[in-house]
Amino acid sequence: MFRIALKGILGRKARLVLTSLAVIIGTAFLAGTSVFSATLNATFNNLFTDVFKNVDAYVRSSQVIEGEFGVQERQRIPAALVEDVLAVPGVKAAAGDIQAFARIVGADGKPLGTDGQGPPTFGGVFTESFVSLWKVVDGRAPKGPNEAVVDEASFQKGKLTIGKPVKIIGQAGSREFTLVGVTSYGDVRSPGGATFALFDLPTASEFLAKPGFVDDILVAGDGSLSDAALSQRITDALTKKIAADSSATAKIETLTGAEITKETQDQIGSALSFFGILLSVFSFIALGVGSFVIYNVFSISAAQRERENALLRAIGASKKQVTRAMLIESLVVGIFGSAVGLVGGIGLSKGLSALLRALSIDIPSSGLVVKTNTIVETLVVGTLVTISSAWLPARRAGKVPPLAAMRSTAVEVIATGRKRTIIGFSVMGVGAAVVAAVVAGASTSLLGLGILLVFIGTIVLGPVIVRPVSLFLGRPAARFRGITGSMARQNSARNPKRTARTASPVLIGVALVTAVTALAASIKGQINDVFTQQLKGNYVVSTNNRGFGGLSPSLATDIAALPEVEAASGIGQIIGKVDGKGQFLTSVSPDTVSSVWNFGLINVDMSALTADSIFISRKKSESKMLPVGSSVTVVLPDATTHRLKVAGLYEQNEFGDYLVSKALSANTTIASFDVGVYIKTNSDVSATKARAALQKAVDKYGQGTLLDKQEYIDKNSGNVNQLLGLIYGLLFLSIIISIVGIIITLLLSVFERQRELGLLRAVGMTRSQVRTTVRWESIITSLLGAALGITLGIGLGWVIVFALRDQGLTTFSLPVGSAVVIVILSFFVGVLAAVYPAWRATKVDILSALNTN
Amino acid sequence: MTTSTLTVAASTKNAFKIYGHGDEAVYALRDVSVDFYEGQFTAIMGPSGSGKSTLMHCIAGLDELTKGSAVIDGVDLSTMKDKALTELRREKIGFIFQSFNLVPTLTADENIRLPLMLGNNKGNEEWIQNVINTVHLRDRLTHRPSELSGGQQQRVAVARALASQPRIIFADEPTGNLDSTTGAEILTFMRKAVDDLNQTIVMVTHDPVAAAYADRIIFLADGHIVDEMTEPTAERVLDRMKSFGN
Repeated sequence: MFRIALKGILGRKARLVLTSLAVIIGTAFLAGTSVFSATLNATFNNLFTDVFKNVDAYVRSSQVIEGEFGVQERQRIPAALVEDVLAVPGVKAAAGDIQAFARIVGADGKPLGTDGQGPPTFGGVFTESFVSLWKVVDGRAPKGPNEAVVDEASFQKGKLTIGKPVKIIGQAGSREFTLVGVTSYGDVRSPGGATFALFDLPTASEFLAKPGFVDDILVAGDGSLSDAALSQRITDALTKKIAADSSATAKIETLTGAEITKETQDQIGSALSFFGILLSVFSFIALGVGSFVIYNVFSISAAQRERENALLRAIGASKKQVTRAMLIESLVVGIFGSAVGLVGGIGLSKGLSALLRALSIDIPSSGLVVKTNTIVETLVVGTLVTISSAWLPARRAGKVPPLAAMRSTAVEVIATGRKRTIIGFSVMGVGAAVVAAVVAGASTSLLGLGILLVFIGTIVLGPVIVRPVSLFLGRPAARFRGITGSMARQNSARNPKRTARTASPVLIGVALVTAVTALAASIKGQINDVFTQQLKGNYVVSTNNRGFGGLSPSLATDIAALPEVEAASGIGQIIGKVDGKGQFLTSVSPDTVSSVWNFGLINVDMSALTADSIFISRKKSESKMLPVGSSVTVVLPDATTHRLKVAGLYEQNEFGDYLVSKALSANTTIASFDVGVYIKTNSDVSATKARAALQKAVDKYGQGTLLDKQEYIDKNSGNVNQLLGLIYGLLFLSIIISIVGIIITLLLSVFERQRELGLLRAVGMTRSQVRTTVRWESIITSLLGAALGITLGIGLGWVIVFALRDQGLTTFSLPVGSAVVIVILSFFVGVLAAVYPAWRATKVDILSALNTN
Repeated sequence: MTTSTLTVAASTKNAFKIYGHGDEAVYALRDVSVDFYEGQFTAIMGPSGSGKSTLMHCIAGLDELTKGSAVIDGVDLSTMKDKALTELRREKIGFIFQSFNLVPTLTADENIRLPLMLGNNKGNEEWIQNVINTVHLRDRLTHRPSELSGGQQQRVAVARALASQPRIIFADEPTGNLDSTTGAEILTFMRKAVDDLNQTIVMVTHDPVAAAYADRIIFLADGHIVDEMTEPTAERVLDRMKSFGN
């Protein structure tokens, strides 16, 4: 039987290729994303091994606050400690190090890098010490408060000139320096695509951090001690030194070079692993959708071979043997497809890397990393998915009665059973009931189950729905395309099971996208409502930099001083521990913020917010049992502990659940940037004049974007668009798979209908009419998937929005525009998928088609 | 019926159909020159491999001659491209095949009108109704092929061939898949089409009984015409066939 199966496969190479195509695409994404993640990981691992190459010990503060989303803020340490470290026996070199926000302004006045998106923009210390990998490639090292150097890539991109002034933005504001040199990091022009502005130590600490402080100290030993012993010795010496100084509050720790390397690698690793998980979710969805295509192909191929299988049965093959032959074929297809997919995936990951490079994210290349894991996983998963997709068709093939060999035609059974209708409706009904229960108040955690059941029910019901729906959708084609359109319409309905399976990938993709689009549209509507109410001003200076850098606090002061401005206030974010848990605190200036932003204060005035008090959102206050009058303990990044009284509650928590006064963090080492400056201009100043004046003030800092009220609202909706971008990536994937699925099905159908095509050509159907027929069948199939997908997706979206009503989503917006786009898109998917099968259909030889029996 | 009043509907002149080259060349047709007359029912007979189907395919524009010419309605087929040939088949030729004559997704009525619809042509409705009556299909028009018997399916095929009032109808073993009673019924319809509607029919067959319905029989063997017979009967045809066997 194995030999027969093998011969069957080799006898039909075209079919093997077609069947494998679905496997190849699914596994290619799997392998590609896996290789890409591994490569990215290895790249960063190598990078940080290089960074800390000469570092034997690493001194830093042991005081750290970890906020949400993995954001952490570590306390800074006095720069004076560098001298103490140098004095420790066994230390060869030591240098203070700062990694802070700084943005270089190019010669054309535009800041380099992007505002909060893409690679970070750094400022730091240039030292010629042995421990640092920075070296001057042109010019000289910076010295004194007016000199700076930049990395080579920024130098070129900003069209800067050595000896000429360069504008740089740091925490202390925007300042002009003289560019005295160009540096590179080891051999890398600009690591990870980031930009770097470097100064001497005192300048860096004053301009980027806090005068007299550094982030950490890099230490190189003289080789007389092990790294561990050296670190211990440094810790001991510094602890003694700090203890001797009663005013110092700093607590330090010393890591060995290996430890800090590993810690940094792990941090990057976990940041990347999120990315990796996202990618593999995509590829698993791709493979899942692809399994429909595989299932479909095997079903069709089993149907087309019905007579052949019946003949085998008639001459004595058992059911099992026929089934096994099909499974062996699926095994070969699975292995072959996965292997090709693996190779394709490696190519794909190369493409991804090239894409990153095109986006000017210069990652030091360490070659593609293809782990054994990737290879094994791709082959095993690909093969298993293929075999399990072929399981049902193979069993059905075994059940062919030997008598079928004598039948004249071998066409797949068209009847759609009553059993299917009953099962489909039952599953869907249970799903709908679960969803209804959730809507009625049951736990939202059941929602996923309900949705899944509705999905399964829809797919089971597919063949039942397909006939009426595709006949309906095909009406315009039949009407406007005459006999060819009407034949296409009949063809799409003639084998509902096959059409349903072909349309399933379209259905799944479209349903997911529609649901998320509906959700996004609702969120956008919500954002619009909220910001219209809360923003009392008419202009905003906004930045995407959050958590790392932002707007200089003096920008708000400058703007408030403008004659055109009635009021302006900056709102910032600091990180802190509230009752032991890391949180973002919104810091405001209580005297000005009320005239530009409405927090929805509940029976309290902004002036109640002082350095000793805190406002909490009503929701948080209720969930944390923190009523007005109670107290919370807040630990700030500089390790100071504050006992704050809850002085008021507020309704609108768009900025966060904790509101503190800027007075709280004034005069500390805490980085205090604003995330936005909110402005109300004088009503007697024209919009053009006001805008020009504000723009001038913003330009002085070279940072942040000036937006009017509507632009600001649009921008906030734009964050939702990023989510949509991700989902459109998914749509793109499912489009590709759907196209492949439709191509395969059409090709097999064309093959199956050769005699019919021959007859049609004989009695006068022209080639272009043949193409039209195939094309419209394809379009109807694609539209069928889209129509069902949109229906399901809108229902799904509504349910999700409903489930999120507690999060403040009150209105459901129909994504009409997106639905129209999806319909148009699926029309073209149909057209595109039909190109090759239609061409093949015209190549049918009339005589041989008519003579085949 | 006298030969002097006959007009030629289709013809071949020095037709060759050769497969392969040189020593391996196989001659399916060897210098065949024949005329088919309007209003006549002609049968082409011959043993398997005699080239009778090839001859029909080449005259009908389904296949190309290697050498020589095939002419329908005064037009030389060798000068025509695929599109023109397709339109010629649609407008001037009717086909009846041995089996698989109908498009399974279309009703009997749609199948009958298929060539007309493909040409965006309404056709002569009176004529079509007349044809439908002649083949007794009125109560079967909305049925699909799978709901019709073999004989009914072939009647639909005959009706389709007649519906567009073609210059000539080619039939390839139209009764090959039918039992003798049903076959006789179909042949009677074809005979009626010639007698009552003045159609021209060329039929390929190896069945002497079927051939006996024709006005004239062309005998083919080894790719050339070996004999011709007018006003045949089944016995005479059978006798002639036996003589080939020897």
